[in-house]
Amino acid sequence: MSQESPNDPLRQALRQMPVPSPRPGFAEEALARAVASHEREAKRPARAFVRWETWFGAAVGAAVAALATFLVMRPDVPSAQEPGITLAINESRNVDVLIDSERTLDGAMIRVVTTGSVELEGFEDKHSVEWQTRLERGRNVLSLPVVARTSGPAQLVTVIEHEGRTRKVAVNLLVKPQKHDEVA
Amino acid sequence: MALPDFVRSIRTRESRALEFDRLFREHIPALYRSAYRWTGSTDRAEDLVQDLLTRLYPRLDDMRTLDQLKPWAMRVMYRIFVDQVRRERRSPVQFGFEEELEDESDGESGVSAEGVEPEALVERELTQERIMAAWSKLSEDHRVVLTMHDIEEYSLVEIAHMIDAPVGTLKSRVHRARARLREILVRERFDTAGRVTSSSTGEP
Repeated sequence: MSQESPNDPLRQALRQMPVPSPRPGFAEEALARAVASHEREAKRPARAFVRWETWFGAAVGAAVAALATFLVMRPDVPSAQEPGITLAINESRNVDVLIDSERTLDGAMIRVVTTGSVELEGFEDKHSVEWQTRLERGRNVLSLPVVARTSGPAQLVTVIEHEGRTRKVAVNLLVKPQKHDEVA
Repeated sequence: MALPDFVRSIRTRESRALEFDRLFREHIPALYRSAYRWTGSTDRAEDLVQDLLTRLYPRLDDMRTLDQLKPWAMRVMYRIFVDQVRRERRSPVQFGFEEELEDESDGESGVSAEGVEPEALVERELTQERIMAAWSKLSEDHRVVLTMHDIEEYSLVEIAHMIDAPVGTLKSRVHRARARLREILVRERFDTAGRVTSSSTGEP
């Protein structure tokens, strides 16, 4: 039938229908907003930082729970200890650990250790999880899903090892007792 | 040991953003054009593309494995659009169902588009204004299929994949959409002619 033809006058007219341009700079803004929106989403109330190879003294925002920085070839420096994050029993929360690396690290070993009253969600039967990965140059975000099991203090420790060098960041957590426990 | 999700999610933010930009920037104009044709509004088209990008950014890992990013993005954008339309309508009548199209295709005006020769439309001069006015009166689902098939020239198989509909259904949907567009154009002609006749004969 004639209207199936690409040369059909109606189809030609449709193809010539004008489309007004979007606002100037729309593409740039839209891309930036998409990224920013996700970062806002990912901005959890808990964060930890570790910077590879250089001292790093700045806390980033109020969300930072702990900051540990180390210098290559220097002995380990204990991670900063702060009051940390407070959770309710059975509350789940992602704790972001930002690993800021000045270069790509192939085959970096990451070990996450939980102590006390919290566990890694999905790894309830383990207090330590480790894996090998590649850390990119720049900021690498490690989002750790933590769940509070019992009341009391806890710690979430992330250890990064590469070519015999070790960095460690610890986040202190406190799981508050339930209200009826407090009353009792 | 299987790696947990949070291990796979390790990426640098900067490199993710740059990669997203590199993958998507070239497709934004085409996606925006489609969105405009679907929605008929610059603001809504921008919002639709923005919504699409916002939803796709966390799925960057999925995108790396795609051979054809644009049709995939179009498919996601279509779903967002359908959801938006459904929300806006807040009606039991659901967008995109063939039953609705069947109802629409009944010639309520008594002017049958099927009976109109294409030549008649050529004579009618398909000016941009008339086409745009008729386009704005089409339903969203008709605009979508005509945009994809008649304007952007996707094949029915490609469209079927994008909007999750059988090829046969789409074929008839495209046919009905064209018929509906022609009907609107013809009706407009009759209305105009009627007004001219009325005024020339001095009838009220």
